Amino acid sequence: MATVTLKQAEKTYPNGYKAIHGIDLAIQDGEFTVLVGPSGCGKSTLLRMIAGLESISDGEISIDDKVVNKVAPADRDIAMVFQNYALYPHMNNYDNMAYGLRNRGYSKADIDSKVREAARILQLEDHLERKPRQLSGGQRQRVAMGRAIVRQPKVFLFDEPLSNLDAKLRVDMRLEIKNLQQRLGVTSVYVTHDQVEAMTLADRLIVMNGGVAEQIGTPIDIYEKPATKFVAGFIGSPAMNFLAGKISGDCKHVTIGEGVRLDLDHDVSADQTVTVGIRPEHLSIAADGQGQINAAVRMVESLGAETLVYLDFGTDANNVTLRLQGTQQFVKGEKLSLTIPADKIHLFDVETGKRI
Amino acid sequence: MKRVQFEHSAVPYLFVAPQILIISIFFLWPAAQAVYQSFLLEDAFGMSSQFVWFRNFEDVLSSSSWTRSAVFTVVFSVLVAVISITLSLFLAVRADEVIRGAKSYRTMLMWGYAIAPPVAGLLGNMMFNPLMGDLYKAFNSFGFEFNHIQNANDATFVVILIAVWKQVSVNFIFFLSGLQGIPKSVQEAATLDCKSAERRFWTITFPLLAPTTFFLLVINLTYAFFETFGIIDVSTKGSPGGATATLVYKVYVDGFIGADLGGSSAQSVLLMIMVSVLTVFQFRFIERKVHY
Ligand SMILES: Nc1ncnc2c1ncn2[C@@H]1O[C@H](COP(=O)(O)OP(=O)(O)OP(=O)(O)O)[C@@H](O)[C@H]1O
Ligand SMILES: [Mg+2]
Repeated sequence: MATVTLKQAEKTYPNGYKAIHGIDLAIQDGEFTVLVGPSGCGKSTLLRMIAGLESISDGEISIDDKVVNKVAPADRDIAMVFQNYALYPHMNNYDNMAYGLRNRGYSKADIDSKVREAARILQLEDHLERKPRQLSGGQRQRVAMGRAIVRQPKVFLFDEPLSNLDAKLRVDMRLEIKNLQQRLGVTSVYVTHDQVEAMTLADRLIVMNGGVAEQIGTPIDIYEKPATKFVAGFIGSPAMNFLAGKISGDCKHVTIGEGVRLDLDHDVSADQTVTVGIRPEHLSIAADGQGQINAAVRMVESLGAETLVYLDFGTDANNVTLRLQGTQQFVKGEKLSLTIPADKIHLFDVETGKRI
Repeated sequence: MKRVQFEHSAVPYLFVAPQILIISIFFLWPAAQAVYQSFLLEDAFGMSSQFVWFRNFEDVLSSSSWTRSAVFTVVFSVLVAVISITLSLFLAVRADEVIRGAKSYRTMLMWGYAIAPPVAGLLGNMMFNPLMGDLYKAFNSFGFEFNHIQNANDATFVVILIAVWKQVSVNFIFFLSGLQGIPKSVQEAATLDCKSAERRFWTITFPLLAPTTFFLLVINLTYAFFETFGIIDVSTKGSPGGATATLVYKVYVDGFIGADLGGSSAQSVLLMIMVSVLTVFQFRFIERKVHY
């Protein structure tokens, strides 16, 4: 279908605010790319630049090797699904889906077959005559999806399409979107701040922060080898534990807390101070009490399938989170001895936040 | 469905009493009087009167001056409503592109609304004054033989111009807030679906403004019917020869200046009937079509 390429794309809003600081990106044909990042980091801005709803201040965006910087949104052959659906309230659902096709001069019969096909896929056949306001949120979302797929565009753009739905529906729609995208094979860019959506949908994940792409990679890559402390803290829930540490003289150990030495699985330049990161799910309780660190239980959250234990390590309060399978009981103040596997330790430069 | 039952008590009636009283004194009572008077023939000094059934109505309906005024009123109202709505819609669309979100701007643009009709009439009067009016001079210097004092068409043009000018700002504000009430994402979805801005306007923006337009149509027709009294009274006074007298203005002229109370009451009763029919028509047939 199509590739999308960004070359040093920048966006400065008319008020002088620079929302996107030069992003390079090459989205492959049929790839599902997810943009994730904290609120205000420029996800929507970037998506809207691809759509043509925001001008590109500097750099280039191309769809299929054609630079689209100056191409009108309607001519870019993209379709977008908005967070609030953005359906046309005065048209029934059939017309909502048919509108884009009519403006592109398709024949009546052609439009009818495309709309009915989309309605069938999205189970909207019974609702075509209704107006959007007569539908539930989930159904409206489907109509918005239908409006995008009837056009068979080169690229789908989604801006937090599920964030107005309740939790259960969100899971259903998430699977549906993934299925649909794989079936149609349309190159897609999806904006979300939901971790689970990001991890499950993405072929490739882009973690954004303050207008730059902090890391681009497969979800698993990013989870296993976060390039920066920001990415490490943003991806994964509950967030990664961060502790201050210092590399030993022999380059093979890191010292945390009051003289706790942890083995490292690779050599690191000696004597530098670092941030040590450990994911809550990689900590485990040493059965024999011979773990590397000891920490006191502060609070316990039981979620049924898993238990989150918040611990005080060293002199800091509540600085270590432990994630355990199943339901387990702990007493407040109880000392736990924890094991940290050497290959699960992440080290970050204190100053730059870069992975070491 | 179960209906909520209120205990019978005098309190609710007490609350609505002031409003009922005002409506009764200033509307129902005069209206009833007008109906009563429309059946009477009174001598010019109000000394004696005689019950004449529908003779006043027959006189009114067969008089050429009333028919002329009725035709003028319809033409005038339709033109004022259509021109001021079209013009203000155009202005609002252009302004909306520039000032999305800038509220202070909007408030300033609204000031024209505060001008009372007689003041608008006075301003118009000055601009069209044959001795010193700039517009009067301008039209004549372009080669039109413009003379609204003697030419009925020119006079009609003047009252329409003033009436439209006065009303455009009100319509503009309503259209502008109507436009700003259209979600930005809906307009953006439309830019992805339709390349032509003009087509987008007619297929998305205009239908979404239909409730506003309908509301303004009602407001503007009412305005042209009734509120332009002040404009006409100050500018043309219905001249030349009643060519710019709306029905409302004619009621006043015949009743208070001509002292034909019976005839003028009959005219106002006819006016009431016409307005009621118009209102019912608007709400029954148009309103149903404009809401989405
Ligand atoms: N029209 C605008 N003019 C000026 N600044 C803007 C404009 N739109 C957005 N911004 C700023 O640009 C930054 C990025 O905005 P954007 O909407 O892309 O964030 P986002 O990542 O989508 O956030 P969220 O998750 O909250 O939707 C924000 O700091 C925002 O304040
Ligand atoms: Mg956003």
